[in-house]
Amino acid sequence: MKKSWVVAGVAVAALILGGVSWVVSGSDSSGEQVKELTIYSGRSEEFIAPFFADWEQESGIKLNVRYGDSAELAAQILEEGANSPADVFLSQDAGSLGAVSAAGLFTTLPAGVGGQIEDIYIAADRSWIGVTGRARVFAYRPAAVSVLPQSVADLTKPIYKGRVGIAPSNASFQAFVTALINEKGAQFAENWLKAMKANGAQIYLKNSAIVEAIDKGEIDLGLVNHYYTWEVSQALGRDIDVKNGFFSPGDIGNLVNVSGVGVMATSEKQQVAQDLINYLTSEVVQAKFVADTHEYSLIPGAKAPATLPELKSIGSPKVDLASLEKVQATQDLLTKVGLL
Amino acid sequence: MKRENRLGSYGLRALVAGVLITISQPLIYLFIRASDKSGQEILALITRQKTLDVLALTLLLLVIVVLVNVFLGTAIAAGLHYVKIPYPRILLVSTILPLAIPSYVFTYTWMAIFPELEGVWAAAFILSLSTMPYMILAVTISFQRIDSGLIEVARSLGLSKSAVFTRVILPQVRRSISAGALLSGLYVLSDFGAVSLLNVETLTVSIQNLFKSSYDRGAASVIGILLFLAAAIFVLFESILKGRDFESRGAEGFQERIRRISNPGLSTFAFLVIALYGFLAVVIPFYVLISRYLQNPSVVAFSDLFAAALSTVSVAGLGAFIAFILSLPLALLATQGSSAVAAISGKVILISHALPGVVVGLALVSFGSRLGPLYQSIFLLAFAYAVLFLAKSVASTSAALTLVSPQLKEVAATLGKGKSSIAMQVVFPIALPNLALGVLLVFLTAMKELPATLMLRPTGMDTLATEIWSFAAISRFNEAAPYALLLVIIAAIPTFLLTIPRAAQSDIEKKVSYL
Repeated sequence: MKKSWVVAGVAVAALILGGVSWVVSGSDSSGEQVKELTIYSGRSEEFIAPFFADWEQESGIKLNVRYGDSAELAAQILEEGANSPADVFLSQDAGSLGAVSAAGLFTTLPAGVGGQIEDIYIAADRSWIGVTGRARVFAYRPAAVSVLPQSVADLTKPIYKGRVGIAPSNASFQAFVTALINEKGAQFAENWLKAMKANGAQIYLKNSAIVEAIDKGEIDLGLVNHYYTWEVSQALGRDIDVKNGFFSPGDIGNLVNVSGVGVMATSEKQQVAQDLINYLTSEVVQAKFVADTHEYSLIPGAKAPATLPELKSIGSPKVDLASLEKVQATQDLLTKVGLL
Repeated sequence: MKRENRLGSYGLRALVAGVLITISQPLIYLFIRASDKSGQEILALITRQKTLDVLALTLLLLVIVVLVNVFLGTAIAAGLHYVKIPYPRILLVSTILPLAIPSYVFTYTWMAIFPELEGVWAAAFILSLSTMPYMILAVTISFQRIDSGLIEVARSLGLSKSAVFTRVILPQVRRSISAGALLSGLYVLSDFGAVSLLNVETLTVSIQNLFKSSYDRGAASVIGILLFLAAAIFVLFESILKGRDFESRGAEGFQERIRRISNPGLSTFAFLVIALYGFLAVVIPFYVLISRYLQNPSVVAFSDLFAAALSTVSVAGLGAFIAFILSLPLALLATQGSSAVAAISGKVILISHALPGVVVGLALVSFGSRLGPLYQSIFLLAFAYAVLFLAKSVASTSAALTLVSPQLKEVAATLGKGKSSIAMQVVFPIALPNLALGVLLVFLTAMKELPATLMLRPTGMDTLATEIWSFAAISRFNEAAPYALLLVIIAAIPTFLLTIPRAAQSDIEKKVSYL
């Protein structure tokens, strides 16, 4: 009797192994006309799916889209390495792109790809290309904040004690801190983070949670990306009592980060992947991003989202976005000061 | 005959070892990743203030939830079983139904009513509400098995009702209370949904934060190992506290004759406590989900809803099946008296249960991406569920096996039955209902799982949990409501099955007793 259990176990194991080898040996698709493309998308389905659907219609190529959090998808791609099924990685932020790029998993894109996009929003080694612009702002409740901060350094002053929300585990905040380290040095960044903590900065997990907290009156200001006020208002289906504010021109707090896209070096569908990038960076589609998702177009001179200043006039600091890939130091710093 | 037996036993041990190695993948992964860091870095990471704070907070939360479960959960189970209360069936179902609600949905619904809910006490409240069914279920089942003859005897010897409860009943359900405490404690350690929403940084949240930053997998793994150690200490502590067992089992039929206490004061009190729990843990979440759904009825895409439900059920079902298969060698080993090996493997599995989904997910991404098309197939996802929730099936299995009285096995042995045929003809029939319970629990939990699902699901496949996530990620809670509602309703079906009295079981035992 006992023996039969063992036999059954062995049989199950053999079946599973047999199944694996069968499945593994049964795959081969190179050299044929490309019919599908696999995208890991850190951008949420709600906002990006319509763009994908349009492209599928135009190109006749089916997109297999894997949605997730940008940083988690980057972590997944790093684990998958050369075995990644992904052809394209579309990320919410430059940091996640930088991590994949630093691991050498992106291919170098030829010169013409994404040709309309301003050069500063393209990785210097052309491993990824910016798709939309996302400005860092301070969101605030106008009635509650009489003295607007002119610089991120102002937020450590006593008048803002306990009133500011930040999201240290969020990629957009980490990208900002990375820029801060690169511009002003690690010591300055550490002092600033410590001062923020000492000044009672409230910790949130997400930008949207910060905007909601401002609307509810839990806090008065928060460091977020510009489109969250619009997004939260849309989600709640009503106007909210929260506005976007910009620091003085040139302040690091006005950092413009990008969502962007790169092609996996292991992909056998380079040409189609490039076509997709050209589509997303075309004038028509860029205008659609501005209208539909309230992000900035990265084509020079393009219209800004409603109620916001033009990208040029924000006075965003001159930051090499490719340098935002070095988030390890940021991580260590945030961990060191106890914000992570 | 003897030689064959021994060979079989080696085979079985090999199988168990295979299962253990298979399910240890996440742990192996953690050690590989953590070894990226130098010893000095690891020490610095573990001894920094932040880590100690997080560890302390995690343990505090664990202790509160476990204590609430031990006292309130046991009391509720006792009330359900021994006190005459109105609508006992409905009340029983409503105390088990919270199992169907994922902790993140629980938290969303409560936050919809009390937006300022946050902090460790809020987390303790929510986690107590959502883990209580484990305790109630475990204790109720063992109440049902207590020989009521013993209670009669104790009463006739002049013990008061409360003395009967503390001196006769409680010692017999101690093991079940302990098992309930274990499950709820491990749940607290691995939970991400509730604590992250309530802004409480436990070890799991730390791990997720470090992983999310994706670029520091080493640090995340070090914290992961810390979590593993915490779970190990908790599991060992539990097995010491649990102590030795004394369980009585009398002749068949006595169990049916429970005399419920019908003291009006006690009845009212028990009714109020149980009804209050049902109100907080079932009525409020359902009320919020339904009202959110009604606020936004036009946007539901029923085909998406149906497709997501179908994939949820099929993958979770497959996961439960794999978990069941994997738990069989362990169960078999336990019945054969190799108790040390069985106990150790049981512990390893329990401890792994504290590992959060993100760790198991990434580990399986790391190993699974080498498997070609098997990667991101429903098989690997189902396997992840089995790894994550095997403890539930093993816990039920070993509980089931301890229920089989040793006398019964001895009798069978004196009748010339071999070990394996005792296992097949005596032990398994008795254990089967509890094995089924394990499968149901795995199925139920797998349906609610999120982090591993996000990483391992086939590209383009949505489950109810991922749909809820994708709407909640952009703060569209009204649009998430129909998915949450459907998930809870589907999960309620197996939950309901768990509360059905097990009449069939005593039939089997009757048959067995005539062996």
